[in-house]
Amino acid sequence: MPLTEIDSLTLSHFLLTGAVLFCLGLIGFISRRNLIIMFLCTEMMFQGVAISLIAFSRFHMNDTGQTFVIFVLTIAAAEAALALGLVVLLFRRKHTLDALVWSKLKDV
Amino acid sequence: MEQYLEAALYIVSVLGALALSLMMPRGRSGVGKIGPLIGVAALGGLWLFLCSSGLWGDRETGLSTPAFIYYYVFSGIAIFSAVRVITHTKPVYAALWFVMVVLASCGLFLVLSAQFMAFAVVIIYGGAILVTYMFVIMLATQSTPDGHSGQIYDRVAKDPVMASAAGFLLLAVLLSVAFDYDQIKDIRMDAAKRQSDAALIESTLGNRPLAEQAVYKMNEAGEAVKVDAPEPPANLDPTRLANAERVGLDLFMSHPLGLELAGVILLISLIGAIVIAKKKVPDEGAVISR
Repeated sequence: MPLTEIDSLTLSHFLLTGAVLFCLGLIGFISRRNLIIMFLCTEMMFQGVAISLIAFSRFHMNDTGQTFVIFVLTIAAAEAALALGLVVLLFRRKHTLDALVWSKLKDV
Repeated sequence: MEQYLEAALYIVSVLGALALSLMMPRGRSGVGKIGPLIGVAALGGLWLFLCSSGLWGDRETGLSTPAFIYYYVFSGIAIFSAVRVITHTKPVYAALWFVMVVLASCGLFLVLSAQFMAFAVVIIYGGAILVTYMFVIMLATQSTPDGHSGQIYDRVAKDPVMASAAGFLLLAVLLSVAFDYDQIKDIRMDAAKRQSDAALIESTLGNRPLAEQAVYKMNEAGEAVKVDAPEPPANLDPTRLANAERVGLDLFMSHPLGLELAGVILLISLIGAIVIAKKKVPDEGAVISR
C-alpha cells in the first residue's frame, strides 16, 4: 500500500480503537462474575494493546512494534494455559464458576 | 476547535458509560432497548467528530480512500463485538463474539499493512486460544436451575455502574492524551525514517538466494534429474523485503534475549499447566450462588 493512501488516517484513530477495546475489557473484568469471561476480557485487553502497538509500528516506520506483538501473543498464550488450568481446578473444588464464591480469600 | 474536542470526548465517554451500565446483565429484562440506543448515539457522535474536517490542520478527511472506510468498518465491528462479549449472558456466545473481535482487529492490522501479524493472530487467537476456551467452557458447565436460562452469575453483573464509570474515566483520560494535537502532529508516516530495504539486504541478507535455485525431480528410473527452476513471480522485487521478512529480521537481530525469554516463559507455563491439571483437590460440594 503506498504511504499516501493511509495519510488521512491518523495515529489517534487506531489509538482510539485500541483504547476502547482495552477499557471494555477492563470493565468486563471488573464487573463479570464468570471466571472464564473474566479471562476472556483480559485477552480483549491484549487485543487493544496489540492494535496500539501495530499502529505505532506503522506510523513510526519501525518494525519493533510488530515484534512486541509477537511477545504479547506469547504472554497471552502462556496466560491462557495457566488461567484455564486454574479455572478448571477451582471448578472441580466448588462446582461453580462464580468469582464471588471465592471472596473469602479477601482480607475482610 | 480543540477545546470542543476535549468536551466532546468526555461527553461521549459519559454516554458510553451510561449505555454500557444499562446493557450489563442484571438478571431481569426491561431496560433492554435504552442501553443500545445510547451506545449507538455515543459511538456515532465519536465517529462524526473524528470525521470532522479542519481538526487536523492541513489534512483532508479523505473519506474516499479505501483505508479510511476499512478502518471505520473494522473498528465498528470490533467495538460492537467487544460490547457483546462483556454483556452476553451465555459464555459460549461471549467466546464467539470474541472471535469477531479478533477477526476485526486483524482487519485493522491489514489496514496497517502488518500482514504477518494479522495471520499469526488469526491462527493463534482465533484458532488455538479460543478453542481452549471453548473446551474449558464445555468442561465447566453446570446444570442450570429450572426456569432460568443460564447461571445466576452469568445473568447478574457485579457493580456494573462502578465498573463502567471507572473504565470510561480511564478511556476519557487516555483519549484526551491520544487526541492531543500538539503531541501527535509530528508523528507522520515519513518514509525517510524507515530503514531502507536495500541497506537491510546489504547488511544481513547478502547471500540471499533469489532465482538461481536448482530444482531436482525424480524420473521413472529413480534418478534425480535437474530441471529448470520455476520462474519467479513477475511482481517479486528482489530489492524489497516483505512484511514477514522485516519482522523476522527485527525479531532475531534486535531482540534475541527477548526471544529466549519468551521460550522459557512458554516452557514454564507448559510445566505449570501440567502440574495444575494433575493436582488433586478436595470436592467441597456444589456452592449455590446468590
